[in-house]
Amino acid sequence: MRVIVSLLAALAAVAAAAPVQAAAGETRGDLTIPFVKTTLPNGLVVILSEDHAVPQVAVNVSYGVGSRMERTGRTGFAHLFEHLMFMGTRRAPTKAFDAWMEEAGGHNNAWTAEDRTDYFDIAPPTALPLLVWLEADRMRDLGLLIDKEKLDLQRDVVRNERRQSIENRPYGVEELVLPTLVWPEGHPYHHPVIGSHEDLEAASVPDVKQFFETWYDPANASLAIVGDFDPKRVRELVDRYFGAIPSHGKPVDPGAPGFSDEKSTLTGVVRRTVPDNVELAKVTIAWQSPRHFAPGDAELDLVASVLSNGKASRLYKSLVYDQKIAQSVTASQESRVLASQFVIEATVRPGVDPAKVERAIFDQVGKLRSQEVTGEELDRAKNEYEMAFVDRLQGVPARASLLNMYQAELGDPGFVQRDLDRYRHATAQDLLMYAKRVLLPDAVVVLTIVPKKEAR
Amino acid sequence: MTTAHARRSIAAALTCAAVGCGGAAAPPQAPPQPAPVSSASQAPAPPPPDPLGPRPEAPMPAPYLPPAPVVATGVNGITVWLLERHEAPVVSCDMTVPSGASSDPKGKGGLAYITANMLDEGAGGRGAIDLARAIDDLGAHIQTDANADASFVSLTVARRNLDRAFALFSDVVARPRFEAAEYKRVTDLWANALREREKDPDATARVVYRVVLFGPDHPYGHSWDGAPESARAVTLDDVKRFYAAAWRPDRATLVCAGDVTQKELEGLMSGAFGSWKAPPGAPPAPVTPGPPSGPWPRLVLVDRPDAPQAVIASVRQGVAVSSPDTPALWRVNDAIGGSFSSRLNQDLREEHGYTYGARSRFSLSRGPGQVVSWANVVTDKTGEALGAMLADLRKFADGGLTPDEVERTRSQARGDIVGVYETVEGIAGHLAADASLGLPPDHEAKAAEARDAADKALLDRLAKQYYDPEGSILVVVGPRGRVQPMIDKLGLPPPEVRDAEGHVLK
Repeated sequence: MRVIVSLLAALAAVAAAAPVQAAAGETRGDLTIPFVKTTLPNGLVVILSEDHAVPQVAVNVSYGVGSRMERTGRTGFAHLFEHLMFMGTRRAPTKAFDAWMEEAGGHNNAWTAEDRTDYFDIAPPTALPLLVWLEADRMRDLGLLIDKEKLDLQRDVVRNERRQSIENRPYGVEELVLPTLVWPEGHPYHHPVIGSHEDLEAASVPDVKQFFETWYDPANASLAIVGDFDPKRVRELVDRYFGAIPSHGKPVDPGAPGFSDEKSTLTGVVRRTVPDNVELAKVTIAWQSPRHFAPGDAELDLVASVLSNGKASRLYKSLVYDQKIAQSVTASQESRVLASQFVIEATVRPGVDPAKVERAIFDQVGKLRSQEVTGEELDRAKNEYEMAFVDRLQGVPARASLLNMYQAELGDPGFVQRDLDRYRHATAQDLLMYAKRVLLPDAVVVLTIVPKKEAR
Repeated sequence: MTTAHARRSIAAALTCAAVGCGGAAAPPQAPPQPAPVSSASQAPAPPPPDPLGPRPEAPMPAPYLPPAPVVATGVNGITVWLLERHEAPVVSCDMTVPSGASSDPKGKGGLAYITANMLDEGAGGRGAIDLARAIDDLGAHIQTDANADASFVSLTVARRNLDRAFALFSDVVARPRFEAAEYKRVTDLWANALREREKDPDATARVVYRVVLFGPDHPYGHSWDGAPESARAVTLDDVKRFYAAAWRPDRATLVCAGDVTQKELEGLMSGAFGSWKAPPGAPPAPVTPGPPSGPWPRLVLVDRPDAPQAVIASVRQGVAVSSPDTPALWRVNDAIGGSFSSRLNQDLREEHGYTYGARSRFSLSRGPGQVVSWANVVTDKTGEALGAMLADLRKFADGGLTPDEVERTRSQARGDIVGVYETVEGIAGHLAADASLGLPPDHEAKAAEARDAADKALLDRLAKQYYDPEGSILVVVGPRGRVQPMIDKLGLPPPEVRDAEGHVLK
């Protein structure tokens, strides 16, 4: 999970690119990730990006399916399915995927979020043909050999993941509750990615086969390969292994019919108090906000930075440093494809009323909504992102992931410079405008997690 | 809050308790690699019915030898390691001194940690807030930290802001203010964080391993971040004294990686660290703790009422980083619990579904550290999972590695090493860990060679010595009422019950 947090931060918060080329004489360079994009006849998008700095390759396969495509009664299924993608085919039997890849000096992982499922392999260049073959094999055939035994095993693993990362972890309950408060019933983000035990229990083998048929189609995927390889040779491998995978056509993205990311569905202050096995209370305040890459998205990233990046940020300085009522505080624009959420979280010091922390947060939000941030604050926030773009994607795995994110969300793997420009071009007036529009005092969720003993 | 869910939690799999990981050694530049070879592409003609054809071969990757940093003596006796990397306009530097939690005075556990923590709470001409603002204005990151053996200040910044950021970095290292008001605030936060720690099962387990294995009087016998009672005993005067003894230029190594040259770095250093003088007298030598001495309980249980999972672990004494065993131990660890296809993970997760992941790790430390194999398992299966873990470890210790494991771990070691060195932060952090432990600058290349050369006989000996569950300490953190009857059935002695800080409960 920790690894995933940083990865998501890189994707959502921004970050970028790699053989990072700065234009001569410029203090702030432009960024490019050289790549070649093609689309195979079956619809699979292929993105190749050479980089010979270290003897390593990264293969990233992104499928356009996430928890928001799950049907009623099957929450958690997209993630459970991700686990099943490792359970073997007739060519690569159960356990072979990892064994063969690790024998070749590589390793892999995958993650599932609301919008997308991402699989990635990292290995020495000698293993690249194997990686491409393994990914093609499971894209083609995974559904065929799934049986109840494999499903039951990964169901147990996933339920243990839920226990480990949520139920037995302080404040883990937030991940279960917050989506149900921020998003209305019927909205595809209303349920948590991990799903309920009950729904995980209900998943059946026919569900798996149908899900595979529908979503794991080459036309619903993109393949990014980054690193130390010969592009001509790799292109041949990709054509041979992926080219003949049949497509049933790209599935229709169900979207969020009836909902818009421009108008919050929240109509008041939604409050919930939840007891948990924690030492300190925690206040979480959340709004619906513009979707990833929509106008306002980058501006709200910068607002979040002004609020909580560093000791001198407004919320940290006010709540933690000056008033000493909070132990920690963070703010973030959690960007997603259909709509985002802007979230402020603060843990409360012992003996302090959580309501006091809540008021202090709303005070700071109120200031952001009534007056422009200073030029100094804006520059500081922008510099954070300038650095993040240059810094975070020095490695090939992160770059492969980024190329595929831009492809999946925008259809343009080469978006990095325009992405950075969103931040460079933001003005204090823009930040004020979006703070006013989004951080509404009367369309907001306030979730308070309190220590169990106090709740009793 | 994040809502993505990964197939596996890798957080700890390849992370060791100290700074770096056993054998996670590695390198910056790439020797030329042979072109990928695919048997499939050379396969003879008859068109197979299978469009994918047979599995392509993946030959053993070429050995990867990390280049050593260039070493120099800088202003006021600071040792300098520099590894230039000019792919991206970013620079990362770590200043390290060889004093960490093992130098904490008795009863003052956490002193090295809180001293490091205080370094950036006001330094040079700036108070805490102004300093933070100045760092953030540059888009720079400055972090301070301490582990069992050493303390660190690290900087990462875009090249164009290096000179200004380096000046702030030097203030943090050489001119901390240690103001009383800031100390009060920081120690309040510390006390709260230690209370929070007791609610986290993994943090609890981490604290307890150390206390039980080493005992409270051993230099490694407490967590680097201390404990509630020792935190209360530490004063600002303690911090100032610790700083004066530990943080001196003649004990410090500056490790830089990235888009900066030797000449540029010299210029930066003479300005920024020119006034950082060592006090008179010989610098204190680094603490090199001896091995723990026992006697140890067989089984320790920490009650965590109502928990849906239990942490189960087998803990043994590990290696000193300078031991000739250390490089090869990386491979042994890969085979038993350091990778996804390791025995523990395959058995407890992929065979039985008891857990989201089972793993093992060993610490890199100046004196002998620890080796831990562990998993978070569903409470109802605690007994079966612990039984399986013990059986796996016993079989591994007695039978050694399979020939496949011997080969696989060599490939893995060659592959893993590369990723560490993809970013300048990775390089600087990794080399700084080496420097802090007294390892030579060419250690990574030598360790890579030794790791590569290790044969089955050596690996088997290490498997026995470091992973045998006979004589290990078993730790369980879970709901006592439910797990104890299950554990009793394994024929283990009654548990010694301890609290979340590792104190024995009577």
